[in-house]
Amino acid sequence: MKKKVLSVLMSAAMVMSALTGCGSSSSGSAANAAESKAEEKSEEKNEVTESKDTEETATEDAATEVKPVTVKFWNSFTGSDGDKLVELVNKFNDENKDGITVEMDISSNLDEQLSSAFAAGEGPALLLFSSASRFTYGDYMQSMNDIFDKTSLDKNDFIESYVDYCSEDGETYLIPFQIVSFYLYWNKDLFEAAGLDPEKGPQTWDEYVEYSKAITDASKNIYGSGLCYAYNYQMAHVIQRFGDLAVTKDDSGKWAANFEGNTGYAKFLDMYKGLVDSGDNPLTDDTDSMMTAGQLGMTINGPWLSSGMDTAGINYGITTVPTGDAGAMNSVEVLGFSVTTVATDEEKAAAYKFIEWWNTMDADGNCPALTWSLENGCPAYLKSLIENEQYQANAKVMAMTNKDTSVRSDFITSSAFPGVGQIINDVLPQITQPVLFDGKPAEDVLKDAQTLADDIVSKYN
Amino acid sequence: MKKIKKILHSADGSAYYFIFPSIILLLVFNVIPLVFSFVLSFCNANMTLDHVDFAGISNFTKAFTDSRFLNSLKVTALFAVIEVPIQTFGAMIIAAMINKNTAGNKFFRAVYFLPVICSATAIGIMWKMILHSNVGFFTYMIQMAGMGRINYFNDPKITLFVVAFISIWRSFGISAIVYVTAIQNVSSSIYEAAEIDGANKLQQFINVTVPSIRPTFWYILMTRLAGSLQIFDIVYMTTGGGPNFTTESTVTYVYTRAFSANSEMGYASAMSFVLFVMIMIITVLLYRRMNAED
Repeated sequence: MKKKVLSVLMSAAMVMSALTGCGSSSSGSAANAAESKAEEKSEEKNEVTESKDTEETATEDAATEVKPVTVKFWNSFTGSDGDKLVELVNKFNDENKDGITVEMDISSNLDEQLSSAFAAGEGPALLLFSSASRFTYGDYMQSMNDIFDKTSLDKNDFIESYVDYCSEDGETYLIPFQIVSFYLYWNKDLFEAAGLDPEKGPQTWDEYVEYSKAITDASKNIYGSGLCYAYNYQMAHVIQRFGDLAVTKDDSGKWAANFEGNTGYAKFLDMYKGLVDSGDNPLTDDTDSMMTAGQLGMTINGPWLSSGMDTAGINYGITTVPTGDAGAMNSVEVLGFSVTTVATDEEKAAAYKFIEWWNTMDADGNCPALTWSLENGCPAYLKSLIENEQYQANAKVMAMTNKDTSVRSDFITSSAFPGVGQIINDVLPQITQPVLFDGKPAEDVLKDAQTLADDIVSKYN
Repeated sequence: MKKIKKILHSADGSAYYFIFPSIILLLVFNVIPLVFSFVLSFCNANMTLDHVDFAGISNFTKAFTDSRFLNSLKVTALFAVIEVPIQTFGAMIIAAMINKNTAGNKFFRAVYFLPVICSATAIGIMWKMILHSNVGFFTYMIQMAGMGRINYFNDPKITLFVVAFISIWRSFGISAIVYVTAIQNVSSSIYEAAEIDGANKLQQFINVTVPSIRPTFWYILMTRLAGSLQIFDIVYMTTGGGPNFTTESTVTYVYTRAFSANSEMGYASAMSFVLFVMIMIITVLLYRRMNAED
């Protein structure tokens, strides 16, 4: 108990004093609404359940039996996709016959909220976050291997590499919810104006450079290429194509960083510097605004860029990021549902019901996972969805879908490396920015990056 | 115990009842967090505090060999050097110009004060759009005026000045209004006497206004200095510390270490404590200097 109190106080200390200037958590509007609704529903459902109890037989599988229960569900979908999530969660609350109420709380400061809650032995039963979060909150996540036994979900319907991404030592800690990758966007009008085929994006990085030169028109502030040094995730997705993973396991089974002497990374850095020096790529920390303003011929970004492009009325195409020297790969992050250790057996069973509902096609051929995928422009993680007619009719998500499901899914490091966030946020800026701003040779910068990365890697060996 | 009861029941002791809520708030939100933050700085701890190991002074030694932390201290000091003089002296001059209660001056006071009530997030986004290197309105106007395109947020030589400008723009109003209040409290008879002695407006400002508002000057200097050494929100919203870490302030770096992947709460607390000690020393020195002048 003393330890718990100490933890809570320390947590408060961190948030209040060490980090002055940080914003406070803002919960989603769904939380309060869900809370009051949960109370109402709980009362209604209790009555229903009482009358049903006598009719139900005791032979039902205890694991799948769900009593009226409220499931606290936390995530950080604060954008417009959050509104869709609220809508779908409300639909589940209205439709499910098991007396389950999913009480959702959307927070822009999920990490701060979680750290305080877990330290106090509280928190949500169900979480939605990046698979990489298991390296931070692994102690609070339950294995979800049994979900395929306790629900109608078919493990074989999930693309294997995505489930692997959410697993460690044979234990699955998250069930895929959204696949986040980066794609190459091109402005068809600018392609046409430059005499390029507007229906076909570049297939190789040599073509990317060539097209960039053709599109750039300095007199009109138009640039062919939109690589952005401040966008660490974009840098990671691209650099991986050139020099493969930054951290992998060596022959002895230990983590090893692969920066020094990585000719692929050096090639990318030289290419990027060349594009900036030639004026074909603006030196900017914000390429999104330029792309939506029609001033960039090409850029690489996540699916969220498309809504901005649609709103701005840009005539654009999407394709997968060109393959580089590192060969075919599917660099993705997987966001998933996770049941926490805070969840009781009843809450866990209810959370499973919700995840099952999310991934199951109803009689009308609708499925929340499909709705989410089509409305938010995210590729599917279920094989059955990829074959779905509605899905196949959506050119945007089809362009984002990696058709070869056997290709490995790793993002910048081996997916099991716990320090992936540090590599992205601490090491990558230290290789791109000194090359661009200080004019340091790529080889020297990679040597320095190796020292930094070795320090990070050593913590996990 | 009886003695305490006696004090509390006395006329003077009743004052304690009135300050009790403030003491509680001070303890809960300032003193206790400060103490625990200090304790945490001697530990290796992650975000959830479920793995807390005693680390001795290693977090402090690490801080002084961490090139990014040292760079952040340099950036923070530079930022303060740019911001504080403009805030303290610039606001004083502006305040002297708008201290009379005319309609025009009231309008300008409102205009200066407007950014103070805006959130840093809104201000950051607004300036980022106005000064965008390619699609920014101001950038475009400057270019149209034949002055070339200035890359406000991506040029290591100027970006810190741009961030400082935004920060000054944001809080300039409060300094100016405090000065206005101080200037209005200076007795008019002193100005009349100076005028009889033949002092012009500038001489009146230098020889009457400035000495009379010295306590306010010290207050502005100390609060702005402490504030600029803790700069975070504007940096976070506009540059995120870039380009090439040239605007990464200490608090921005502390936040990165505390809440990014592989959170290092202990290390972040140690760096916070180093900054706290620096601010405290500077503030105490300024305070002593102020008292010596009095």
